Amino acid sequence: MATETTAVERPPVAAGDGAPIFEATEVVKHFGGIFAVDGATLDVRERSITALIGPNGAGKTTFFNVITGFYRADGGSASLNGTPILGRPPHAIARLGMVRTFQITKALARMPVIDNMMLAAPDQPGERIVSLLARPRGWRRREHEVRAQAMELLEMFNLQPLADEYAGTLSGGQRKLLELSRALMARPRLLLLDEPMAGINPTLGRRLLDHMQRLRAEVGMTFLFIEHDMEVVMGHSDRVIVMAEGRVIADGTPQEVRSDQKVIDAYLGSGTAKEGGGNGG
Amino acid sequence: MTGLPFDPLFAITFESFTDIEFWTSVGILAGTYTILTLGLQLNVGYTGIFNFGQAGFMAVGAYSMAILSVGPNGEGAIVDFWLSLPLSVLITLAFGLLVGLPSLRLRADYFAIAAIAFAEAVRLFALNARSLTGGNQGIFGFAAEWDSVASTVEGWINSLGWSDPPTLFPLLLLVWIVAALLTVTLRWLQETPWGRVLRAVREDEDAARALGKNAFAYKLQSLAISATLGAVAGWFLALNLNFVNPTAFEPIVTFVAFGILILGGLANYYGVAFGAIVFWFLFEGLRFIELPIDEVQVASIRFVLVGLVLILLMAFRPQGAFGKREEMVLGD
Repeated sequence: MATETTAVERPPVAAGDGAPIFEATEVVKHFGGIFAVDGATLDVRERSITALIGPNGAGKTTFFNVITGFYRADGGSASLNGTPILGRPPHAIARLGMVRTFQITKALARMPVIDNMMLAAPDQPGERIVSLLARPRGWRRREHEVRAQAMELLEMFNLQPLADEYAGTLSGGQRKLLELSRALMARPRLLLLDEPMAGINPTLGRRLLDHMQRLRAEVGMTFLFIEHDMEVVMGHSDRVIVMAEGRVIADGTPQEVRSDQKVIDAYLGSGTAKEGGGNGG
Repeated sequence: MTGLPFDPLFAITFESFTDIEFWTSVGILAGTYTILTLGLQLNVGYTGIFNFGQAGFMAVGAYSMAILSVGPNGEGAIVDFWLSLPLSVLITLAFGLLVGLPSLRLRADYFAIAAIAFAEAVRLFALNARSLTGGNQGIFGFAAEWDSVASTVEGWINSLGWSDPPTLFPLLLLVWIVAALLTVTLRWLQETPWGRVLRAVREDEDAARALGKNAFAYKLQSLAISATLGAVAGWFLALNLNFVNPTAFEPIVTFVAFGILILGGLANYYGVAFGAIVFWFLFEGLRFIELPIDEVQVASIRFVLVGLVLILLMAFRPQGAFGKREEMVLGD
């Protein structure tokens, strides 16, 4: 039974011990015969910075794709703030307050950096053709606000001088930062980050982490991020969820997870743990 | 040149080359294709959807205008000519939504196939539904009310001191006024938040969706607006000839519009008018080059030459006349 193996003791966490803002139960996604996500159950508490880790192929990114509506789930359920989200289209889930970034950055290459940012702002009446024509004053005012917010965020990540450049001219690291600040423009309640640190320099990475802490403190934003850099995971998250082979195998504070035998096995390969145990599969 | 030992290979017949009536008609055609191609610019240049069915929307617009104003097969008007204009736009808009709803969920290349299939379905329907469309005989006689307006306009022109304007001059004026208004409107739309979402959908649909934009709804709106532009182009095509028949809506119409789009440059609305004028004056001008071959061959040579121009353009200026080179380079 799946429940037996995924049952995990969940000790109280130091920070971000609010009620769960997001819950996933027994989420399944398979591609043909391969179960990429095989009954993943986890929750993310409000105002927490939760890391989702696991070896390559554990199903972390697939899990992101399922809960954000990009893949259709083959089973299970998920809710954001109590609202069921599986089966909803990606844009509807984003509007509910759960916004994601992508592992391979999706800069809108032939649009200026500033337009990338302004696009993400919610509640722009000028995006609907009726209110665009009927209330020009309303959306113009909103454009002003949004532009100011965008410039502020760009400044934070040293992207301000590039505001009018095409996003396609940015370097890989700059694109990563752009995608992140763009996601922040959307003012999500829960932000899902797929390897946000990959490819950005350590100084900016630190600034990004500080900014996450600040957003959590100031506006109560919640973060769930996939990350391979253990230093970042252990030093900056208040809860770590470990996936392997499509399931959640451990869940707890960084200290707890670090010493969990299941986690060590998953990372080093279970063959090592059961040495000489006839691993003939 | 008289001392040449051989006859010149080609020459230009100046008599027809200076025929103002003819060039007025070409100017109307260029205006008509400007309007048609503005729709493609919205779809291809700004939304990233490859609408190969634009001739079909043009056909729906032209036929519904004609049928509404002179009746099925010319058996009596259903509505007034002036009312048939907005109605035909609404009908074409509905067609745009109808075509888009099932097919815009397809991947870009499959949508292109679905769109061209739609356009051919419309044309073949028009060819065969004789009691409605007159089949290959077409429909005519819907322009009387326009003609009376046109003669009023001609009166104004006369009073301004031009005693003998070309017959179709009022239509030329109208088509270019409409084309200019539409160009300005579309350009304005592109600078709004709505236009920004369209461009985001063009760049990366998934990124747009992840930021809460309903990419499908925007693609549908883009296609529907483009369809209405096709309908307006359809009016002018019909009024230019005072005749609608199925051969006017063959797929070549869409391909020519794509040629104009590339000539003028992607993602620039001003380029569309430029492309349309250059294309049609080049294409029709080549008519007057006299070659030692028969007329059917000349007709084919014109296509070859236009193709050659497009190939050279792709080689030396792939962004077209008004497109931005950076955008070509950055595309994926």
